[in-house]
Amino acid sequence: MAMKPPVTIPHLSQVTDCTTLSGRPVLSVYGPDDVFADDLGDSLGRPGHYPYTRGVHESMYRGKLWTMRQFAGMGTAAQTNARFRFLLNRGQTGLSTAFDNPTLYGWDSDDPISAGEVGKTGVAMDSLADMERLFDGIPLDRVSTSMTINAPAAWIFTMFLANAEKRGIPLAQLRGTLQNDILKEYIAQKEWIFPPEPHIRLITDLFAFCAEHVPQWNTISISGYHIREAGATAAQELAFTLMDGFTYVEHAVAAGMSVDDFAPRLSFFFNAHIDFFEEIAKLRAARRIWARHMKERYGAKNPRSWLCRFHVQTAGCSLTAQQPEVNIVRTAIEALAGVLGGCQSLHTNSMDEALALPSDKAVEIALRTQQVIAFESGVASVADPLGGSYYVERLTRELEEEAESYFAKIRDLGGMVPAIERGFPQQELTRSAYEYQRALSERRKMQVGVTEFTNENEILEIPILEIDESVETNQISALRVLRESRDNVAVQDSLDELERTARTKENLVPKLLSCSRVYCTEGEITRRLIRVFGEYREQAFF
Amino acid sequence: MNEHPIKVVVAKPGLDGHDRGAKVVARALVEAGMEVVYLGLRQTPESIVAAAVEEDADAIGLSVLSGAHMPHFTKVKALMDTEGIGDRLLTGGGIIPTKDQETLSALGVGRLFGPGDDPSTIAEYIKERVYARRAAERN
Amino acid sequence: MAESMRSSRGPSLTPQLWERFLGGERRACAQVITKVENDPDAVPEIRDRLSGRLGRAIRIGITGPPGVGKSTLTSALARGLADGGNRVGIVAVDPSSPFTGGAFMGDRIRMDALVGDDRVFMRSLASRAGQGGLAPSTAGVADVLEAFGMDRILIETVGVGQAELDVMACADIVVLVLQPSTGDAIQSLKSGIIEAADVVVVNKADLPGVEMLLQSLRFAFSLGAGRPGTNATPILATSAQASEGIGELVAELESQASDLVDSGRHREMRRARLENEIRRAIQTHLWASLERAVGASAKIRRHAEELTLSGGSPYPFIRRACAATQVCQTKEEAWQ
Repeated sequence: MAMKPPVTIPHLSQVTDCTTLSGRPVLSVYGPDDVFADDLGDSLGRPGHYPYTRGVHESMYRGKLWTMRQFAGMGTAAQTNARFRFLLNRGQTGLSTAFDNPTLYGWDSDDPISAGEVGKTGVAMDSLADMERLFDGIPLDRVSTSMTINAPAAWIFTMFLANAEKRGIPLAQLRGTLQNDILKEYIAQKEWIFPPEPHIRLITDLFAFCAEHVPQWNTISISGYHIREAGATAAQELAFTLMDGFTYVEHAVAAGMSVDDFAPRLSFFFNAHIDFFEEIAKLRAARRIWARHMKERYGAKNPRSWLCRFHVQTAGCSLTAQQPEVNIVRTAIEALAGVLGGCQSLHTNSMDEALALPSDKAVEIALRTQQVIAFESGVASVADPLGGSYYVERLTRELEEEAESYFAKIRDLGGMVPAIERGFPQQELTRSAYEYQRALSERRKMQVGVTEFTNENEILEIPILEIDESVETNQISALRVLRESRDNVAVQDSLDELERTARTKENLVPKLLSCSRVYCTEGEITRRLIRVFGEYREQAFF
Repeated sequence: MNEHPIKVVVAKPGLDGHDRGAKVVARALVEAGMEVVYLGLRQTPESIVAAAVEEDADAIGLSVLSGAHMPHFTKVKALMDTEGIGDRLLTGGGIIPTKDQETLSALGVGRLFGPGDDPSTIAEYIKERVYARRAAERN
Repeated sequence: MAESMRSSRGPSLTPQLWERFLGGERRACAQVITKVENDPDAVPEIRDRLSGRLGRAIRIGITGPPGVGKSTLTSALARGLADGGNRVGIVAVDPSSPFTGGAFMGDRIRMDALVGDDRVFMRSLASRAGQGGLAPSTAGVADVLEAFGMDRILIETVGVGQAELDVMACADIVVLVLQPSTGDAIQSLKSGIIEAADVVVVNKADLPGVEMLLQSLRFAFSLGAGRPGTNATPILATSAQASEGIGELVAELESQASDLVDSGRHREMRRARLENEIRRAIQTHLWASLERAVGASAKIRRHAEELTLSGGSPYPFIRRACAATQVCQTKEEAWQ
């Protein structure tokens, strides 16, 4: 293998600008003069106690290890079911479902707009029939299940509930998380159906329904992950995510719910990027900010309402297509940041994700990475081992302050929804993404194997998973069979009832559940709701 | 030869909301002196090629991270040929395995870029290809 | 025709291209537009070819501050006009960066309702050297679209600088778009650009503050703020995103269009524009001759440098230069 001649680099400052990944200037050493007394006092507190800077549990991972939850999904429901079983057999403790693009946008596999995308980046899901195949043989009352879906989250979730009902599993025993976070879609991921208001109504409907019927379910996972992947800095990820959270709280309260009825089931989802300490500080700041606002601004009395519990995923955008094995190292560093930041569950990316969907081998290594951190490294034995570090406490405060100043800006614009409509967070992200790209181009930031230490003659030798084109044809023919064999009178009746209810203020979730039980397809439900709510059009902001 | 600005249509075909790359590249092309017609998300091959025809674009850049790059690039290329703009450059980027890049290249699709490629490389590539086509037209 | 008026850049337009253009091929239209945009020397030849095909279309300028929803409104308007039986051309101008020369053109994002509608032809233009809200080639591009068979041509400006004056020079009807709850409306009242408008549209009428804006506009017009010598300027409220008020706006524009034609004012505007075009072309040509003959620009620059130091008056030089330059008419019939 021909290598470029070795580069001599006498000083770090010659190859990077010594700012954090987000461009935050840092000193070469931190000491007692760099923190306030409060940073080590009331603002720090103890693990498991307000303001939870040091973690949500007193004994942290000694008491309850984080859930190792690898995101998986591809092809048909049967194929993903096999991947789920593979992961559970290797010691994974929770499931996380990735859906394909047509599902994420609310369309059926046989819709013309879905052509070429069925089963490509996740599992294809059209109706309860697919849900039955997806979780076949998996004990839903014992394994917690997370579903990454947003715009059509409510009716994919009711398919999940209908499946549990059919299998005789009480809804009250179901544990898991629905991503269900539409605001970050407008900001970053761009998978929406309706304008913001009807989507937020569906979300608050689900809060209310679950409070009564599925009490162990996390009704939303307010996500910074995608905001970060779209180019945000650490502070922007923190600020926009928490502001989205406040917005959901305000809407649910405005809809007549009491904050302590739904707030304990709110959960979060953050990115763990490659800047180790900045990421840890971000996660600690998130807990502190959320606790303070929930207690003081929104008047929550139940301490569980104050907890910012979160899932962490390592940063997909930090992975490189060049020398992909090096991604194992990046992911290990990022995962460690997630753990030291106090996550409740963790997904570690596979080394080949900048090239294709992950292969079984790559997924296994990613899971093993978590197991090494949990069982060999010793970091899980002590809660918040970095607490009191001058550098980490200082960064935590800086991030909190930066987030607070974003909150003020967004409130000046009238809140998150008006800010999104004016493109404020979108523009901030686009700007940061471009700034980072410039820093790379100008060699102020480095990517090993990309901007330096490149290997020109690299031959990729990692196996790549490909999705067979027959997935689409199989999925479509299964859907045709379903449309012929189900009770189509019941389907039309339940869709009519759904449309009628959508025009009122009544909770839509029971009607969606009725539709799901009789095998209405996702796209049929979407089209009925579009009649009432309209479609959202892209506003591209630069 | 004093070249007039290069016009590029940038689009995201299909169902894929990851527009960070498309936006960063669009901006870099503008900084490189190009006129960029940005079509945004959820475009069909038909809408992309129709826009490129009306704009008389020198190049089309597609960003696809959804895994559906094969059908999208193939359809856009075929439509470019039937609409009489087969001489214009079709390029783009995303998570596109080498084997697929080779298949597309055999169909006449230009170079495809991936994570880690500097946007200035993309701008240079487009310039090189467009100037070569224009020079051939002048002769 | 003199040397300088022949195309020097790229191949000249082939007979096949013209055939395809006349046959209604959209790609051919796009290629002719590119020629107009990029090659000023080709304009005379193209203009010759377009003769007999111009003079009928109504050109509608759409201007207003950035962010008021001009693109969305233009899109809705194009549809409304097309539904009324018109073929519609759109020229959307976006600013070029003065530093890199590049331009970001995002109007099509807001015009996706027009995708696949072959009654409409849409073209984005970068403003390039244009100082105001238009590209220098805007009028030429509109000519091409008209000759291609468009009945209505919508010209959307950048919305900054001298956009309104520029658009007045090349549009028959000017629509000024404003939105509530920003200071822009007040600015346009103060700066007098409102005088350029034949129709004022208050877009995004679902936003708060719309009544207040409508009232202050009506008040301003009651004091005579509108275009001098015309009837009261109509003020319409629209919400382009929700397609509200578009029917009324289309009706207003169509009624103004037929008034323009019936009253002979449309012909008068065309005359004035042609006069301007001829004068400008001759000026450009004469200046180019002078430049070639004596290197006028370099001499002027040198003289200006001297004057900056000496503090003298420029007129002795001007008098000498004018006295030394004589335009002699050789053949009266050439000017007939």
